[in-house]
Amino acid sequence: MVQLPVWTAIAPTVILALTVLLLLVVDSINPDEDSGNLLAVMAVIGTVTSIAVTGWYLLAGTGQPPTDPVLLFADAIVVDGMSLFFTALVGSVVVLIVLASYDYLADHPYQAEYYSLVMLAATGMSLMASANSLATAFVSLELASLPSFALVASLKHNRGSVEAGLKYFLIGALSSAVFAFGISLVFAAGGSLGFADVAAAAADTSLPGVLGLGILFVAGGFAYKTASVPFHFWAPDAYEGAPSPISAFLSSASKAAGFVLLFRVFVEAFPQTAVAGTIDWVLAFQVLAVVTMTVGNFAAATQENVKRMLAYSSVGHAGYVLIAVAALTTDANRSFVLGSGMAHLLVYGFMNTGAFLFIALTEYWDVGRTFEDFNGLAKQAPFACAAMTVFLFSLAGLPFGGGFLSKFYLLMASVNGGVLLLAVALVVNSALSLYYYSRVVRAMWLEEPDGTLEIQGYPTGLYAAIAVAAVMTVLLLPAFGPVAEMANAAASAIV
Amino acid sequence: MAIQPQFYLLLSAGVFCAGLFGVLTRSNALMFLMSVELMLNAANINFVAFSFYYGNVTGQVFSLFVMGLAAAEVAVGIGIILVLYRNFGDIDVTGPVTMRR
Repeated sequence: MVQLPVWTAIAPTVILALTVLLLLVVDSINPDEDSGNLLAVMAVIGTVTSIAVTGWYLLAGTGQPPTDPVLLFADAIVVDGMSLFFTALVGSVVVLIVLASYDYLADHPYQAEYYSLVMLAATGMSLMASANSLATAFVSLELASLPSFALVASLKHNRGSVEAGLKYFLIGALSSAVFAFGISLVFAAGGSLGFADVAAAAADTSLPGVLGLGILFVAGGFAYKTASVPFHFWAPDAYEGAPSPISAFLSSASKAAGFVLLFRVFVEAFPQTAVAGTIDWVLAFQVLAVVTMTVGNFAAATQENVKRMLAYSSVGHAGYVLIAVAALTTDANRSFVLGSGMAHLLVYGFMNTGAFLFIALTEYWDVGRTFEDFNGLAKQAPFACAAMTVFLFSLAGLPFGGGFLSKFYLLMASVNGGVLLLAVALVVNSALSLYYYSRVVRAMWLEEPDGTLEIQGYPTGLYAAIAVAAVMTVLLLPAFGPVAEMANAAASAIV
Repeated sequence: MAIQPQFYLLLSAGVFCAGLFGVLTRSNALMFLMSVELMLNAANINFVAFSFYYGNVTGQVFSLFVMGLAAAEVAVGIGIILVLYRNFGDIDVTGPVTMRR
């Protein structure tokens, strides 16, 4: 068997980056022609190739036990089970987004820019999954953020979109400065940026206070990226104002990328044993997880606007995933706890993307955004509404999709970590979330339409994306076991 | 090293707090950008000072990356502020509240 050169381990990310360049070249050769078709097809092909290579590496065991993780560029980048898992996740979301955008942006004047920015952000997110030094972490986080700012504001004549872009940018710029300052304090305490070196230097630093403050600031940067308390308040405005496919992209792929970096930085660079004298970050995340869940779900319950409700529910889900680090106590089964968070992010990637794409579909039809506007929608679009029902019940944690099992695993993880408060908060919040999710379902299926709504056309791309997301959400119910096993194996390599 | 490293920490903390104060009090989008720039440069002070203290160039090189990214961030930010001005006729960041009911 031919042995590939070592650098090819990062091929999935390189393919995404090459797709960006190719899109820009095609646009510069042929800028005037309405080439939305070609661009969307190219973006899908590039992403599917990247997913295929990732899948191949996952199956071939690249960088996974029993072999060592593949380290590239003087240990700045690592390829292991976790990075491949999240690269596949980001790629899958991007395929759905591009399929949906094809219809959503049918008369958008800047298609090439839009698709290149999506792919550029995806490159940054997959690089975040592979970062092995705080320098790579910062650069890849910015590479994911900067295109996202432009994408949120990409409907230049829509005041909501511009306002959302502004708020996203302001909080993003602020939190990236906080993140950079945190990294500089960690560097001041240890004199290195690689995760392993930071962990080694942390144990006998002469500046424990500075290190502790640095860790807190770094956590703040991640709270922004994952839309967790205390940096969550941009999320409802940004998700509501952004074009819906972009809301889907940010709330699933971007959040997942933020979480993988959070997992890696805190488990590898700031292990509890090394930073024991400075800060107990497990306790900090326990507080953040409970507060994030509660804030997200209670705010979601009071919304009148479905998209804004989904935005707050996305904050709530960030709280659920935080359990993966909050329950990471010393006597827990650490790979199981971390793996449960990873598996939940994968399921969430499909069900949440699907739910936001359904909103994109209603915007395409000009249905309106409040719960009442959805009344009787199922009579005209039964398939899309059935898919939405699956997404919402899966998000709530009912056994309609993988969301049931992934939440159950998170519950087991919080019990395993011995933090019963987290388990209670998870159950209470899930019960609450069922109330506002079922409001949408009731409006779609049980309420009578007011008769003025006439749906024009059934856009193929959007329907295809919603169908794929629904099928994956349902399939992840029976297939959750192997997925969770894969996630646990990937997590066991770093804890 | 002539100057003790803790003075660099104090200086950078001061610059960072000045930036944070600007972010919290200014409502002009351009002033906001300048304040964020101050906060990023506070990080750069730490990187360069402690790079010298530890005798490696990691921090110095990384501070170049921070500067480059700050410039990229401003480029995107100015673009967003431009469309903000076209849509709302002002660059006051507290102005646009169309989504809050």
